Amino acid sequence: MNNPSAATATNVSKIYGHGDSEVRALDNVSVQFETGKFTAIMGPSGSGKSTLMHCMAGLDEMTEGSVTIADIDIASLKDKELTRLRRDKIGFVFQSFNLVPTLTADENIRLPLLLGNNKGNEEWIQKVINTVHLQDRLTHRPSELSGGQQQRVAVARALASEPAIIFADEPTGNLDSTTGNEILSFMRKAVDELGQTIVMVTHDPVSASYADRIVFLKDGKIAGELLEPTPELVLDYMKKLGH
Amino acid sequence: MLRIALKGILGRKARLVLTSLAVILGTAFLSGTAVFSATLNRTFDNLFSDVFRNVDSYVRSTQVIEADFGAEERQRIPAELIEVIEAVPGVADVQGDIQAFARIVGKDGKPLGSEGAGPPTFGSVGEEFKGALWTISEGKFPSNSTEVALDEASAKAGKFVIGDRVKVIAQAGSRDFTLVGIAGYGDVRSPGGATFALFDLVTAQEFLAKPGFVDAILISGDGSVSDEKLAQAINAAIPGSYKTETLTGAQITQETQDQIGSALSFFNILLSTFSYIALGVGSFVIYNVFSISAAQRQRENALLRAIGASKKQVTRAMLIESVVVGLFGSVIGLFAGIGLSKALSALLKAAGIDLPTGGLVVPSSAIANTIVVGLIVTVSSAWLPARRAGKVPPLAAMRETAIEVVALTRRRTIFGFVLIAFGAASIVAVTNGASNTWLGLGILFVFSGTITLGPVIARPVALLLGKPAERFRGVTGTMARQNSARNPKRTARTASPVLIGVALVTAVAALAASIRTQIDGVFTEQFKGDYAISTTARGFGGLSPSLADEINLLPEVERATGIGLLTVKIEDRGQYLTTINPATAEGVFDLGLTSGTYADLTADTIFVSEQYAENNDSKLGDTIEVTLADAQVKSLTIAGIYEFDDIAGKYTVSRDIIKDSTVINFDLGVYIKTKSGVSQESARSVLQAAVDKYGQGTLQSKREYIDSQSGQVNQLLGLIYGLLFLSVIIAVVGIIITLLLSVFERQREIGLLRAVGMTKSQVRTTVRWESVITSLLGAVVGIVLGVGLGWVIVYALRDQGLSSFSVPISSTISILIMAFVIGVLAAVYPAWRATRVNLLTAITTS
Repeated sequence: MNNPSAATATNVSKIYGHGDSEVRALDNVSVQFETGKFTAIMGPSGSGKSTLMHCMAGLDEMTEGSVTIADIDIASLKDKELTRLRRDKIGFVFQSFNLVPTLTADENIRLPLLLGNNKGNEEWIQKVINTVHLQDRLTHRPSELSGGQQQRVAVARALASEPAIIFADEPTGNLDSTTGNEILSFMRKAVDELGQTIVMVTHDPVSASYADRIVFLKDGKIAGELLEPTPELVLDYMKKLGH
Repeated sequence: MLRIALKGILGRKARLVLTSLAVILGTAFLSGTAVFSATLNRTFDNLFSDVFRNVDSYVRSTQVIEADFGAEERQRIPAELIEVIEAVPGVADVQGDIQAFARIVGKDGKPLGSEGAGPPTFGSVGEEFKGALWTISEGKFPSNSTEVALDEASAKAGKFVIGDRVKVIAQAGSRDFTLVGIAGYGDVRSPGGATFALFDLVTAQEFLAKPGFVDAILISGDGSVSDEKLAQAINAAIPGSYKTETLTGAQITQETQDQIGSALSFFNILLSTFSYIALGVGSFVIYNVFSISAAQRQRENALLRAIGASKKQVTRAMLIESVVVGLFGSVIGLFAGIGLSKALSALLKAAGIDLPTGGLVVPSSAIANTIVVGLIVTVSSAWLPARRAGKVPPLAAMRETAIEVVALTRRRTIFGFVLIAFGAASIVAVTNGASNTWLGLGILFVFSGTITLGPVIARPVALLLGKPAERFRGVTGTMARQNSARNPKRTARTASPVLIGVALVTAVAALAASIRTQIDGVFTEQFKGDYAISTTARGFGGLSPSLADEINLLPEVERATGIGLLTVKIEDRGQYLTTINPATAEGVFDLGLTSGTYADLTADTIFVSEQYAENNDSKLGDTIEVTLADAQVKSLTIAGIYEFDDIAGKYTVSRDIIKDSTVINFDLGVYIKTKSGVSQESARSVLQAAVDKYGQGTLQSKREYIDSQSGQVNQLLGLIYGLLFLSVIIAVVGIIITLLLSVFERQREIGLLRAVGMTKSQVRTTVRWESVITSLLGAVVGIVLGVGLGWVIVYALRDQGLSSFSVPISSTISILIMAFVIGVLAAVYPAWRATRVNLLTAITTS
């Protein structure tokens, strides 16, 4: 772990309800995501993997603990500052409904920059667009794009502002496996060739095998880690965890 | 199915309230105006049955001249009849009655009451009488020519106490009296806000009317015979040559109540017209809400269809919902309307029109009307959306999104254009001489066509109007622009209330601007003097004719002439004659004589307009028979023909024509030309002094006068703006509802935007601009339609002397600004709601 950490969670807990009906979605989780690495978070449904991502990305409030993104402690931020942090430092890829239907692909890609009234690095943006092969789809609106193309636009948007970290929540969940693999290759390329940091939540061993490292969650706690995974290794590990 | 429908309604109380809001607003005005009218009618009915309670017979002249607008002038009768009637058996007490113009001058030198506008100012007879109209509450009735009594409200307003000197202006000039009594009228302190100065009979005759004459005679019987018998006996006792009639107390009460009723009915019709416009505008909002709610419930309805509900059942469920909304909204609207009518009374009170207070009258017809109309409008507005809801295919239950289908059919475009073409054709037919009925039809067609085309033009126009937002607001502007264009049907429906309101306002403003331009031109052409004294008291009172004569003698004045109006009968129809003073008119008030000179106008001659001469084939030397208000018939020879008939009308006579009659007349304006070399300051000060002496009239320079004449149109405009304000409120509510529903529909999108870094204030900006673009869309199309409409109306009125069309530029600009403000205001709540969208639920897939 020579690389500095792009995002760090320290003793994060997320508790719903009170007393008897208390549910610990996250229970004292501490984890670091290294800069320039592709990390996957895996776990069965209800394991807290999405909640962890939401808390770390400033989309949800944690009950206890602290999170730093690009050395900024997000717990102390007000809504406006947090929104700006998401806009400038974090990229997002969601499972579905990733794009604003009224904007063109190009506008969707630049959305965080446009919202910040920021021109961005044009050379970089062109490089991103080329990487995901969207040059000839830029003037189309989301309804005129296939599911795979829409997800490529989403990946390009996440990359466009050169964020400190990209969070992807089941980015291939709605795609067929060929298209899904294509998206995952792009994400891999973004880490390898463009030096980006990606954290991806998934429940699919094949998707997870594209990552450099897998963090397993179970019942709101870190259940283990796997480096340099292959699909077979992941499946074995999952069996071991009693999946 | 009924249970499912009712459960659905109760499950969404917020939507019920939103939908009902449009119904409430529309019906509130409907019931408010009905209640207000009924209350007003009842109040006046009570007042007059009080007033004539002890009057058993009423004698008046049978000679009446009926002029335009229901105005009538009844001849006076000789006072000697009082003695004749006193001798009739069964008569206990008799009083001559006079009701004429008189203004009480306050201690500050300003006359009480407002000139022209507002309730009239009367002078009347106040004497001890069994059938008393007036009861003295303090002091005594006046008994000689130096004494006066005032109504309680005027005494209070002028801070007069018994013993004060009171100046009163009447037809015979102004005079000082000693206040000896304060009187009440029936049960009220002052009847309907009018002011009254009361005199003894002889003084009243001489000061207010003509010596020896009264307006009517009031008789109180001794109870020995019935009112009918008494009236017959009195009628029999009066020689037929007096041309009088005798009414019973009940008859005169009924007649007066009917007169007031018909005077109020104009007001009632005006109010209800605007309440129906408001309701019509509201129906667009109702239709829109049901459409959106049907779209948002598409999956739910599809599920019902999938598990076996028939099309009919789904449609019926929505119609049941509309019945509930209609009933709920109308009932609340009814109560809101009662509150509104109270507010209207308070408003009138604040404006100085103090109506006698009586209980609020809520006629059962108003209750039934409000609820039935509210229900019908709601259910029929929900009809189409309900049918569409039934047509949803069961498969739609499986679809991911449930957003309103946006299919614009070519049929709609064609139908819209056909309607507009029909409308335009009707209007063109009118301009080529067809009847004006086609005009109304044409306008209706154009309106319907525009509304039909709404969804077709909404997208391009909204995109165009959104350009500046995109330019100045960046990506938030882009999204607002695209959002306002993404569902053109919805946007068009939302903008429709704004469109209708703005089109009506613009048309009226265009008409007013044209009239203003016209008036300005007419006065500039005809009024050659430097100053004018005018009174806004139309048809009742005015400037004493001696005012012009007195000013004419001032050393600073070159010439001053008075212009008045006289009501006469020509060929059995009431007509207005313009009266001028031929000796002084020339060079001050220009008639544009094409033949004859001012000197040719005497007590036996008449001038007619060119237009009249042409229409009637009249020429110089022809005679016209004129019957004056006192039944005197005069044969007048045409001695001149003039061109400018905008002010003077068809006939102009010399003011000397009434010299040997009982008719009295006032000047409505005095036009003054000052001598050259007289400074403005000195001219103004001597003229003002003359005006002050009479206590009546307003002195203005030429420019001020022309501006104020043309500015009178603004009063009309103000009234119509006020009434259309309700449509504006409904338009705002419509935008609020649509935006709220759209925000609800776009929760996921807003959540996504928030996640990738849109701040709350940017979310608000987007919603706000969408609202502004929608509102401006309605305003811009409405202005185009309104200007066209205004032009058509002005064109149709060209025979009434309206020759120039003016575009109301300043009104148009203020309408656009208003539309902008409406958009911003309407967006406040929906924008706030949009920032409350739960980020997590929006982005996590269920």
